[in-house]
Amino acid sequence: MEKTIRVLIAKPGLDGHDRGALVIAQALRDYGMEVIYTGLRQTPAQIAASAIQEDVDVIGLSCLSGAHNELFPEIVELLKERGADDIIVVGGGVIPWEDIPFLESRGIKKVFTPGTPTKDTAVFIEKAVYERDGVDMSKKEPPKKIDHIGIAVKSLEEALPFYANDMHLKLEAIEEVQSEGVKVAFLKVGETRIELLEALSDDSPIAKFIEKRGEGIHHVALGVDNIEERLNELKQNGVSLIHETPVNGAGGAKIAFLHPKASRGVLYELCEKEKKEDE
Amino acid sequence: MADQTNFDELYKEWKMKTEELMNRFPEKKEQFKTSSDIEVDRLYTPETVDEGYIEKLGFPGMYPYTRGIQPTMYRGRTWTMRQYAGFGSAEETNKRFRYLLDQGQTGLSVAFDLPTQIGYDSDDPMAKGEVGKVGVAIDSLEDMEALLHKIPLDKVSTSMTINAPAAVLLAMYIVVAEKQGVSPEKISGTIQNDILKEYIARGTYIFPPKPSMRLITDIFAFCSKNVPRWNTISISGYHIREAGSTAAQELAFTIANGMAYVDAALDAGLKIDEFAPRLAFFFNGHNQFFEEVAKFRAARRIWAKIMKEKYGAKKEKSLQLRFHTQVAGSTLTAQQPDNNIVRVTIQALAAVLGGTQSLHTNARDEALALPTEDSARIALRTQQIIANESGVTDTVDPLGGSYYIESLTDEIEKKVEEYLEKINDLGGAVSAVEQGYMQREIHQAAYETQKKIESGEEIVVGMNKFTLEDEPKPELHRVDPELQRKQTEKLKSVRENRDQNRVSARLDELRQGAKGTDNLMPLIINCVRDYCTVGEICGVLREEFGEYTGV
Repeated sequence: MEKTIRVLIAKPGLDGHDRGALVIAQALRDYGMEVIYTGLRQTPAQIAASAIQEDVDVIGLSCLSGAHNELFPEIVELLKERGADDIIVVGGGVIPWEDIPFLESRGIKKVFTPGTPTKDTAVFIEKAVYERDGVDMSKKEPPKKIDHIGIAVKSLEEALPFYANDMHLKLEAIEEVQSEGVKVAFLKVGETRIELLEALSDDSPIAKFIEKRGEGIHHVALGVDNIEERLNELKQNGVSLIHETPVNGAGGAKIAFLHPKASRGVLYELCEKEKKEDE
Repeated sequence: MADQTNFDELYKEWKMKTEELMNRFPEKKEQFKTSSDIEVDRLYTPETVDEGYIEKLGFPGMYPYTRGIQPTMYRGRTWTMRQYAGFGSAEETNKRFRYLLDQGQTGLSVAFDLPTQIGYDSDDPMAKGEVGKVGVAIDSLEDMEALLHKIPLDKVSTSMTINAPAAVLLAMYIVVAEKQGVSPEKISGTIQNDILKEYIARGTYIFPPKPSMRLITDIFAFCSKNVPRWNTISISGYHIREAGSTAAQELAFTIANGMAYVDAALDAGLKIDEFAPRLAFFFNGHNQFFEEVAKFRAARRIWAKIMKEKYGAKKEKSLQLRFHTQVAGSTLTAQQPDNNIVRVTIQALAAVLGGTQSLHTNARDEALALPTEDSARIALRTQQIIANESGVTDTVDPLGGSYYIESLTDEIEKKVEEYLEKINDLGGAVSAVEQGYMQREIHQAAYETQKKIESGEEIVVGMNKFTLEDEPKPELHRVDPELQRKQTEKLKSVRENRDQNRVSARLDELRQGAKGTDNLMPLIINCVRDYCTVGEICGVLREEFGEYTGV
């Protein structure tokens, strides 16, 4: 299912500046793509032929000599002639802004101007390929981080001094989450948080957890995007869920719990927060 | 106190030398003064001489030249302001040259288009899209005549950024001068002619290393006898740095290449003091101000030591590292391009405080396209302001003696020596290039820099910090898209109007020469005189020498 994207980085024309091409090649490799670099001084015909022979998904063209208007479209034409116009062509280099609409009208999917972070280029290429292949991108993104670790306690008041005074963690907020019957305290650790959970009543899941297993780690929450689609995919794949649709969690987040039997005994929470939360 | 005595004696020697020089070349003013009426001395030295001052710094114009190659430096004469220019046709570039000379520029610097630099004519299929783009298109002597039209070649010195076909373009220059009535011993200028850095970083190579080195030593030998005022090579760190190297790598790889050229010339039977005075260097003026100043000072010291101790050079001029500086094109941003004027100013100032002999300041819009006339003028004005308004030219090596600068100079020297040792272990620069050693080192440094910029560890103002939402879109210079067609027609008429038999004969003589060991320069001069084209001449040499295809 997981496809490795193949990219040909090519230097058309006589331009010898390949710092950018080499940097991009390396960055795409580090991103997980397979990258072939043609070396200098390739004619459009050579580039089209290599791309077809190497069965690449994408050609990345780099030109700093000003010959892009002649050379980039010719490569697109040659691919078309040889029935390989499913290969996505992108370009970069010293390309005046006023040339970009022309290049795009001639089939260059995107022109990256100087200063574009290599990650943006990689993400663009990945999206373009998945879009072309009809792969739904949203499920592809791995969870971004451990959002928090939930710890069940009998009493916040008794538990907090250890975290705040002895561990020097910063208490961010205390709030009640009625849907889960708990009162929670968040303590920040880097980009992650410790969530202390106190039961609001005896029939709250936390109360039952403590009764059965005592105080301790209750769940691990993963920060994700597109929580609904992710839940759908998990459901389709037969993963058993406590929440099939998200519920409101602390801090206005949308959350859902997976059933611990899916993960051999660990309770996982998925947690989607408003963007502005990310520093 | 031996140090002090030594110092006093050397100081006396330096004073005499300086006075002698000033009798011939007086300083610009009788007296240099600050706004507060404080008199500015020619040179400032420590009050008490510590150990190592003489060995490490000495006096400007004296070994090891750390403080500069002339005793009076810019008090005598400002550096040469040499803006690299060239685009489109020879006629158009000639116009820009004459504009720049009118604006007070003091030397020419020719940019050639890529087909010329790689030895293809404008009608070659390989030239498609590239004719006249990054420089002027030169196919035959006729283009060179148009390029230099009404420019007095006995008065103007010309630098030509040409490497693999350097012999051909130099031959054309010599013949055009002849036609103007200027003999070869009167012309002055520089050809880049540094093929090793082409393999490493710049990419306009044609032939494999061995025949390329032969062409270079042929030029050395020919010019030492016939064109004595010509700088036969400009050993270039510029492009190595642009490709992403560190300051220390730039210096180390350039000096290693320099040593390879010296070795090749010695192997070809030349005497060190015959050609060493005509070796010139070309460095990058980059962002880190103090490190750059230190780099230039270290360069002079390292080269002087090598020439004296390793090669036993005797002439003063053989020991002096003279260099041109261009500020770092790769530091320019496409975003908020006017900010680039400030970057250029800081980089240029470092080159001046490092004692450069000539300087090119980049135009603000070079990350977007070739410079417009306005941008080119501001670039020139930037160095004119440094030269005429800042007062930094009033004393020699003003940063000399700064704890920081001297320490950085020593540290750079140390790092360079480590690299030189490593390259020596690999069998010298030619062999290291063939193994891809320098290329890998540079690439790694370039990638590290990119990652630092993307993580925000390295701040680029206007690009990854202090950005604008709506970038204004400046007006850009455009090359005539019809140029390739026009140039091809012009070439066609040259081919029709020349004596074809003579052309064939000249090319055949060149082929025979290439098979043997004779100096190729006279043969190439004969070729261009009869209007053989750059592509034809390089074509013959390609067939005889083969082509380099990269590592």
